[in-house]
Order: sequence, then C-alpha cells, then structure tokens
Amino acid sequence: MPIVSLNCAAGYPQLRRHSMPLHSARRALDNSCLLLYVATMAETATPEVTPGTIQTTEEKPKSDLDPGYVVICWNDPVNYMDYVTHVFQIVFGWARKKAEFHMLQVHEQGKSILKRDSMEKAEHYVHQLQRYSLHATMERDE
Amino acid sequence: MKLIRVTKGNFLFQLGKREKQLLFQVLRLYPRIPPATFRLSKIGKLPDAEENQRLLDESLAEQREQNRKILNTFLADPRRFTDTESGIRLSVSPSELEWLLQILNDVRVGSWIILGSPEHGLEFKLLNDKTAPDFWAMEMSGQFQMRFLEALEKREV
Repeated sequence: MPIVSLNCAAGYPQLRRHSMPLHSARRALDNSCLLLYVATMAETATPEVTPGTIQTTEEKPKSDLDPGYVVICWNDPVNYMDYVTHVFQIVFGWARKKAEFHMLQVHEQGKSILKRDSMEKAEHYVHQLQRYSLHATMERDE
Repeated sequence: MKLIRVTKGNFLFQLGKREKQLLFQVLRLYPRIPPATFRLSKIGKLPDAEENQRLLDESLAEQREQNRKILNTFLADPRRFTDTESGIRLSVSPSELEWLLQILNDVRVGSWIILGSPEHGLEFKLLNDKTAPDFWAMEMSGQFQMRFLEALEKREV
C-alpha cells in the first residue's frame, strides 16, 4: 500500500543556480594563466585579462548569498515532548541529543530557532514541521 | 496495545478488540485541524507573503485529502489487522508508523484547537458534557501516539 514518503531530504525545491560564482571564475582564471604568468610577466605586473574572455557573474545581493531566513518552532501545551523530539530527528536528521536540546528550548523559552537557511529551504522545513502539526514558522533573520 | 516484535521493516503490535475499535474511532476523526490554521510566518515580513501563504494552505489541504484516502484504505484492509487467539495483531512498516503519528497528532492538536487551545492545566476547567468528546479524542489519540513513539524508541535502541 502506498504510504507517504518521509524522506525529508528529498524533494527540496531546487535553488536557482546562476552561472559560475565570482570566486570560482577567478580561480579558473588563476589556474589557466599561472604558467604563462610565471614565464612572461614581471613580478610587479598584474595579469591582464582580455575583456569578454571570462564571464563573471554580477555580485549577487547579500540576501541571496546569506541564508536570510530562520525556521522557528513555538511552544504549545498540546504536543508531547517525546513527539517533538522525534519530529526534529526526522525532519532535520538530527541525533537525539540535539533534537532534545531544541525541544527543551521550545519548552522552556517558548521557541527555538531550528535552522538558518535560504527562503526555499526554510519554507520546505516549515511545511515538513506543519505536516506533523507542530507550530512552526519562518521569519527573516534580522 | 503492546509491541510484540520489531524488525528492520516491520512493527507488530497486539491489541484487544476494544482497543482496535478505539483506534478506529480516533483515526476516523482525521482531519481535525481546521483548514488554514498554520501560518507561514508569525511576524509577517516575508516577500510575497499572501501568495506563499496561499500555496502553503493549498499544499496542506492537498496532503490532508491524500492522507484521508490512504487512511480509508488502511482501515479497510483486512490483512492489516489479523485475529489471533490472544488478540488482534497490527502490522505496520516504519514509514506507516510515521504516517500514523502524523494522523494521530492531527486529531490531538485539532481537538485541542476545537476546545479553544487551553493552556496546560486549565483544560479540565472546560470539561463538560459538550466538550467531553473532544477531550476524549485528544487524550485517546495521545495514548496511541505514545505507544507508537515507544515502539520507535525500541527500534533505535
């Protein structure tokens, strides 16, 4: 009988991938030019890069590069502590000790920040936690 | 209800006839959490907040509908519960057990919401003839939930 798949790692919405990040493009340039540079260039000179030969990406806004969002679980008096611990283990793949730590934080402090991540992944985690009927939300990491 | 045997791919429980009836009664209450209960954000500073909230509501509603269909199949499957001399055996896989936990917790949390989301310790002040069925659903689903969680812990050991 088909039963819902609980493989939480699967099914992430794929993040939009832009062309090669700036630092990778520079590294590629460094590698290919290294021998030529050593052989022909004066030590004080800087290697010339012909305009247009390297496609560098534009600097992405900080909000795209940083995780930017936090996943929060809020306390409620109805979910059992063992259940919350179990859900954290399943959704995040955490060891029991870490899951218990966050469960106790929820219980004692009213909330726990479970993850810092991109908007897409934060949405995914919130959805997973809500499937288990936990009170979870995502907020901007400010 | 008690756990008889746990293997890598299977949990075998034994329960009495009355327990089976109670489990069926509880599971048939699914879904109990009112639609659009969950919010994507508490503070509400997300981009495209309304659209994202709508997508979340749709997704949860779709999942609820799918769960309801699977649950009907689960309850109607004659091989799921087998009669023995000592009682009734219930056989479930680990993923089915996970799924049952979700169903039972929906019933538990939904009943609590229907009761007005009372704070811990204050809920019994609300107990009366009218609210008794919701209390019963909340407590009974919690009992089955704990049995299943204990079974999962035994597998971990």
